[in-house]
Amino acid sequence: MAKTRLAGTILFILALAIFLFSMENVSAADVNNGFSYIFGKIQDAQLQPVEGVEVSLVSGVDSNLETLSSALTQANGSYAIEVPPLVPKQARLNFSRHHFQQKIDSIPPDDLTQLQLGNSVSFPLVTLEREITPAFWIAALIFVIVLVLIATGFLHNTLAAFTGASALLAISYLGSPFFPDLYIFDFPQAITYIDWNVIYLIMGMMMVIAVVENTGIFHWLSYHAYRISGGKMIILLPVLMLITGISSAFLDNVTTMLLMTPITVQIALALNISPLIFLIPEVFASNVIGVSTLIGTPTNILIGSFGNITFNDFLTNLTPGVFLAFLGLVIYSWFTYRKELTEKKPGSPLLLEKLEERGKITNPENLKKAGWIGAGMMLLFIFGEKVNLLPSVTALIGASALLIWIRPDIDEMIGAVDWTTLVFFMSLFIVVGAIQEVGLISAIATMIGELIGQNLVLAMIVVTWFSAILSMVIANIPFTAAMLPVIAYLTLIIPGAESKVLFYCLSIGAAMGGNGSLIGASANMITAGIAERAGYKITYKYFLKKGFPALVITVSLALLWLFIRF
Amino acid sequence: MSGILCAIRGGPSSHPTIATSIKLAQETGEIIYFLYVVNLDFLTHSSSSKTNHISQEIHDMGEFILLSAQEQASEAGTQAEGVIREGRVVEEIIAYCEDQSPLYVILGQPEEEGEDNLLSLERLQTFADRIKKACQAQVIFSSEKDIPQEED
Repeated sequence: MAKTRLAGTILFILALAIFLFSMENVSAADVNNGFSYIFGKIQDAQLQPVEGVEVSLVSGVDSNLETLSSALTQANGSYAIEVPPLVPKQARLNFSRHHFQQKIDSIPPDDLTQLQLGNSVSFPLVTLEREITPAFWIAALIFVIVLVLIATGFLHNTLAAFTGASALLAISYLGSPFFPDLYIFDFPQAITYIDWNVIYLIMGMMMVIAVVENTGIFHWLSYHAYRISGGKMIILLPVLMLITGISSAFLDNVTTMLLMTPITVQIALALNISPLIFLIPEVFASNVIGVSTLIGTPTNILIGSFGNITFNDFLTNLTPGVFLAFLGLVIYSWFTYRKELTEKKPGSPLLLEKLEERGKITNPENLKKAGWIGAGMMLLFIFGEKVNLLPSVTALIGASALLIWIRPDIDEMIGAVDWTTLVFFMSLFIVVGAIQEVGLISAIATMIGELIGQNLVLAMIVVTWFSAILSMVIANIPFTAAMLPVIAYLTLIIPGAESKVLFYCLSIGAAMGGNGSLIGASANMITAGIAERAGYKITYKYFLKKGFPALVITVSLALLWLFIRF
Repeated sequence: MSGILCAIRGGPSSHPTIATSIKLAQETGEIIYFLYVVNLDFLTHSSSSKTNHISQEIHDMGEFILLSAQEQASEAGTQAEGVIREGRVVEEIIAYCEDQSPLYVILGQPEEEGEDNLLSLERLQTFADRIKKACQAQVIFSSEKDIPQEED
């Protein structure tokens, strides 16, 4: 039964992807050249193309318009409307779409003459203004409720986002027949907001991680960190931080901390010190170095996919800044725990022996294969952009190759995919899509745009710190998803921002901001959860005391790098 | 009926409990059974697919915590064993008492309300009553003052 359900879920996702792909191709079909057409483009106040605008060629007075022909705008905002052989002199173009003010424009006399002669014409660019309807407030309210439910933990993240998406669709379908202003979007429109590149990338990486995490590599690395340091905690601390950080750059932070925390507790117990001395800097390092690659954090995956930023772009533009921030973090951690790190306490011979016993690779064969596949994936991530290879495709190729080579229990592997997280992302995309659809994101973008003006330096500071501070208190994934269109708008209007530097600012702020508070990142909560199971409670106050200075140091250093780089 | 059950979760809050059980073992000659319960409730809000793997990792961590306690007991000249169970802490302690019928059960006692402890004073008493009902064991509360002072 469970197998059937899983297979059904996968089939459903594949079918949906194929359907969406074919829809895009149909909509891009060539225009028949036997007729005359009016071509044009529509954008919103943020200069973004508007899809789904009904463009009608109409005649008659405003109260009694007769539609002669109509067409819908495509994803790039363009339209091509077929013109009947006899065009009335008073013909006009009517632009209408939910959540935008209706606009009726006259056709310039010269264009009208051309149309009457059977020639096609290009209509000037049209900018539509937003219309605030009750749907605007409902979508905004549901988004805020979802954020609060996630932040307070009142509902599971996925359940909160899923309920939010369902509520939005329920209101659109059940409310709008009675009150048309309650319409937000329909189902086909809602699912266009799901970024399948993100979903498949996360899914592929989860399968690869599932193989790697069962090889004992983390135990081996941690034990050797202890050996290299010779038991000197002042050396052991940065080595453990580096192992955690580098792992976070390729695995997600939560998985890294799930694996590293129990091992770190064991090392600390063997050395007879509090595990928090290592755990807190480790989770900071995870949140900081995770930003260095496209696949290191879900927020980077979102940013990369939306902003069309490649794996190489992250490596060249962000990684050096991240390592500068890491250096600052190591110095800060040494300073913060200087007393504990220099204290001389005898370790436990029994536990150290046990640590050595466990510090072995448990599945060398799988690790070797995963290593080869991992190296191949890195090459594809780095060089794949030359052939427009999407990261999601690389992740899927890597996952399939690994599964075919290793031949694990396929049910176990499919079970290793965190479907809950994938449903969370899909639902979240719909919830964020709703506030985008009704114009809330546009309103925020306009407001921030007016506040910042055309000053790139100010924009970089505001975006970075605004993201960092907000990520301390709200979940950074929905926050990032909501901020992306805002950043895209700022990138368009601010001179110099076309380098996409503001996307990097968002990346730094959203991920490193998680260090500011215990609830700032899922990895923090996981670390605290495991540490508590070992009898070491990480309180909100303790984390804030250690984390906020870490946030200030790392974000400042990473931002400094961006100033130098751009 | 035999043995002293001492449920621990590691860390400073377990020190008084371990000290009390060692002291009692020295007086009675009974074996100490240190119990660690693997509880994965904190995973409910994320990473549900990792439950199997992380359960093993926390199991390993629990073994370390138990070994550390056993080492202390051994240094004090008492005999101790480690037991790991998985589930909810309170329910697993009761289940262990029903299965093994220990003579004594040591519980950590909070010094004051709001302190970092599994149960409040009132709930601790109710819990002790449940243990007595389950296995007739004598329940002993430990506190900070049971920790032997280190010599300077």
